[in-house]
Amino acid sequence: MSEFEKLRIVTGYEFLKHVRRKRLYVILGLTLVAELAVLILVPVLGDGFPDSVMAMAALLSVGPSLATIGAIFFAGDAIAGEFESKTGFMLFTNPVKRTTLVIGKYLACYGAVLLLVILGYVIVTISLLAIYGTVPIETLSSFGLCLLYTGSVLSVTFFFSAISKGAMGATVITLVFVMVISAIIDSVLMMTGQPHWFLLSTNGDTIATVYGGYELFMEGLGGMEGMPFEFETPSIGLSVLSMVGYLAVGFLLSLWISKRRQLA
Amino acid sequence: MKESIVIENLTKYYNKFLALDKLSLRIPANENVGLLGPNGAGKSTTLKILCGLIRASSGAAYIDGVNVAEKPEQALSRIGVIVETPEFYSFLTPEETLGYLGRLRGMRGDELKRRIKEVIKLVRLEDWSKVKIEKFSRGMKQRLALAQTLLHDPPVLILDEPGLGLDPRGVVEFREIIEGAGKEKTIFFASHQLVEVSQICNHVAIIDHGRLLAYDSIVELEKKYQSLERAYLELTEAPLE
Repeated sequence: MSEFEKLRIVTGYEFLKHVRRKRLYVILGLTLVAELAVLILVPVLGDGFPDSVMAMAALLSVGPSLATIGAIFFAGDAIAGEFESKTGFMLFTNPVKRTTLVIGKYLACYGAVLLLVILGYVIVTISLLAIYGTVPIETLSSFGLCLLYTGSVLSVTFFFSAISKGAMGATVITLVFVMVISAIIDSVLMMTGQPHWFLLSTNGDTIATVYGGYELFMEGLGGMEGMPFEFETPSIGLSVLSMVGYLAVGFLLSLWISKRRQLA
Repeated sequence: MKESIVIENLTKYYNKFLALDKLSLRIPANENVGLLGPNGAGKSTTLKILCGLIRASSGAAYIDGVNVAEKPEQALSRIGVIVETPEFYSFLTPEETLGYLGRLRGMRGDELKRRIKEVIKLVRLEDWSKVKIEKFSRGMKQRLALAQTLLHDPPVLILDEPGLGLDPRGVVEFREIIEGAGKEKTIFFASHQLVEVSQICNHVAIIDHGRLLAYDSIVELEKKYQSLERAYLELTEAPLE
């Protein structure tokens, strides 16, 4: 049997795991709540919906962005869980390469997040059509960037999962890395006018800023008047480069570490 | 005679702790060999190296002539394994678990379905075959572990305390199943239960501090030490140089 056939089997059963887990439906619920919050709060707290369809599209991208963070909860236990819960004794004693197992797990996680991201963009599209009667072409770019961001967040999570003893530890470390450390450095660099395109949190912003930068995003929230400093929107091209870097390096490292890791 | 398992000068360090000290052992095909030794003697380490779960610091292990470290997939295709207390994915049922593992081993369609039914019946999990494993007791997981070990009908079984967590009836049933399988398979069986080992195996290897102390037929050891128990006690209490 070919390794590709084994990969197909591993991916299928791993995907089944995500479908049967509550966390998929929790993140699905959170994605819907996020989109509803934007659709209800923006007109209620402001003067109706923004005039610009691009500003509204940028605001609505919060749903798919949130879905990508779900990747951390899907992938945190992908590798660490096999060692922590000892299911590796059952899985690793089969004639399958560790790399095949890790790639299968990665593809299954990606598939699960993809479902959420697609749902997010369906809501974005329907909402924009209902409110403005049009959907900007940039939505496609936003979707593409969201897919790339999902891949890079997954790779970083897989890396932490490969080096962590436990699944909870891997999930928390990744959340802290993406949501706290990267975000703090991002804010500091942004405020001091330094380049910050290489940070994962900045890369995630491109899902919204692709519609017209930070200014347009803030316009949807009432504008940037009163801000003590100016935001410079990082180049999409550099952000793409950065995401590809996180994706490739994180994934390759997780493969290498998983292959060498012993189950004692 | 063809040898199913060959262990050559196997040495394993966990940091500075020496778990295996140039252990060598040759197990002929269709032989049932018990691996005995006190806690920390190196039994599980030996079996884990044979299953490719950990790497030896030096030396080599072979399954049916295939070097486990060099060609792990090829070696693993020849064995069925129970290592430590088995754990399975709680979101799957036994049928689904066996389906997954069977497919990974190249089994397909009706042959796989038939074999899943057979092994589930053999370990008496028929009433639980469609229940998610999250509801299973330790003994039931142990039964499922034995089912997955036999699923693909491997020529070599490597079993680490397979009776752990079973009730007395389960222990007897397990022993009968393994005894039955052992008639046409090689079994390498680590256990603390001397009675269990003597009922399933015809040879034993006794190890302590990672070293081989004795490897002989149970009959010969009983002749020499009066009983297997005395052989075990005398050999494992001897001070090491």
